[in-house]
Amino acid sequence: MQDPATPPPVPPPVAEDILRPVAHLELKAVALMVFTLALIVGSALYLLYARGAFEPTQTLVLTADDSEGVVVGMDMTFSGFPIGRVRRIELAPEGNARIVIDVPRKDAHWLRVSSIFTLVRGMVGGTNIRAYSGMLQDDPLPDGAVRPVLRGDATAEIPQLMASARELLTNLNALTAQDSALGASMANVQALTERLNGPGGALQLLMGNEQDARKIVATLDRTNALLARIDSMAAKADAQVFGPGGVMPEVQATVVQLGGLLADTRASLKKVDAVLAEVQAVGANVREGTADLGALRAQVESNLRKIDSLVNEINRKWPFARETEIKLP
Amino acid sequence: MLSRMSLPHLHERLWFALRRWAVAWGRIVYLGAVVLVLALTPSSYTRSARRSMARHIYLDTAPILPGFTVLAALLSLVLTRIVVVTALSYGLTAYALEMVIRVLVLELIPLTAALFVAMRCTIPNGARLAVLRQSGQLDALRKMGADPVRVELLPRVVAGVFACITLAALSCVVALVMAYLGVYGFNLAGLPSYTRMFGHVFSPAVTLVFAIKTLLSSLAVALIPMTAGLYDMGEGGPQESELGGLARMFAVLLLIEVASLVGNYY
Repeated sequence: MQDPATPPPVPPPVAEDILRPVAHLELKAVALMVFTLALIVGSALYLLYARGAFEPTQTLVLTADDSEGVVVGMDMTFSGFPIGRVRRIELAPEGNARIVIDVPRKDAHWLRVSSIFTLVRGMVGGTNIRAYSGMLQDDPLPDGAVRPVLRGDATAEIPQLMASARELLTNLNALTAQDSALGASMANVQALTERLNGPGGALQLLMGNEQDARKIVATLDRTNALLARIDSMAAKADAQVFGPGGVMPEVQATVVQLGGLLADTRASLKKVDAVLAEVQAVGANVREGTADLGALRAQVESNLRKIDSLVNEINRKWPFARETEIKLP
Repeated sequence: MLSRMSLPHLHERLWFALRRWAVAWGRIVYLGAVVLVLALTPSSYTRSARRSMARHIYLDTAPILPGFTVLAALLSLVLTRIVVVTALSYGLTAYALEMVIRVLVLELIPLTAALFVAMRCTIPNGARLAVLRQSGQLDALRKMGADPVRVELLPRVVAGVFACITLAALSCVVALVMAYLGVYGFNLAGLPSYTRMFGHVFSPAVTLVFAIKTLLSSLAVALIPMTAGLYDMGEGGPQESELGGLARMFAVLLLIEVASLVGNYY
């Protein structure tokens, strides 16, 4: 045992283990230890800071019917930025999951009383808790608030999608099967095109059998003959109507005669006009005559009034005379 | 050796091997306990013992510190680059940095530090101890009434543990800085998200496992080569004894690593 009072004699060192003195050994060793300690303490402090040990937080409790995929330590994001961290997951007495989240006070102003929280499970990667604040002017979310979380599960739709896809494939299989309606239709179409390509072609296809198709052809031939006869008939009619001695020249002569007749009529009418002018003059003379008659009548009336006054005067001057009647000359 | 190997009975050879195995592990465990007890005893830190310890600590740690820091920085940068570029091609950049931190800081760098310390300090120290033993100096110390474990072994083990922890801590910090630089470059824009991700990776359980793993690895690396040097295992020669110690050290490191993985991911 080494004793500071009686130090043991140092055994003769082997050649390779000669202990040369190190300058400022104590200082260097202490500096090294301090360095290591500083590294460890610094790392620990950084870790504590990174885990949010130095910032005041408020609690938010999210209730979900299923906490699958949620792990302690995962982030709650707002617009893609982490603003909270899951501290604990517990089962509530009602049977649903309570997700306790620590939200730093400096980020808590993003959460309002009207905020919505969603729990989304992606196809790749973990579950995400997201917060949405539609109206940032609402009151801030109080400490210890309990909010329901809406679940959106991308993988939950896969079974439904698979069922739909399977149904679609079944329908497609039924459509393309050997004995399906589509197959039969296609076979019919093939038979149809074969008949179209065959003798008779479309006509036979339309009429159904060969006899009827032949009838149609015969009908067409007869129609052609009929049309030829109608053509000759039209030529004959043309000759009768427009040919020499036909109807049309006679009609033309009649029209010329009719023109002469009309000229004569016009001359007669002119004569009638003259007669009417003369009648008008006679009428004017008669109107003048009747005007003179008016004047004559006025004179007669004035003469009669004079005679009447004369008789009245005679009657006054001849009072015995009972006879008042005057004999006109 | 050949004559010893040609023992006629198989069960005797098996018994011999089993006994040797048990003795070796028993000595490791016993010496570990002794070293722990001595390290916690105040009388181990007398002035001369402190001086010897300081000398070992300084000479074991300081010379390898710059070299290993450069190595760790290079390794971190290369691995970060590989992981980030691969993640980019798969569209998984969001998970690249977390993966880098997990792979580098949690798993790879502490193991590399332990192996580096073993290679540069503790295995040569164990060899030196074996030379001391074979040259009879340990017996001389014993005859003078001094405890060779206290005089020669304890400072070396403490220095090995200290070197291991220092290298692991420094290389982890260097790896963190290099991963940040490798992803974000020389700006501070990514620091908040990086800090958050770091806090996310180092949950209390993971941190605890990490600390225990580093401590146990450093103990294993410091103690096992010394045990091989201190005791004659009856294996025929110092080389064989050293090789046996090395194998045991690797086995223990592997065991610690597996246990830490189980603790972290199961």
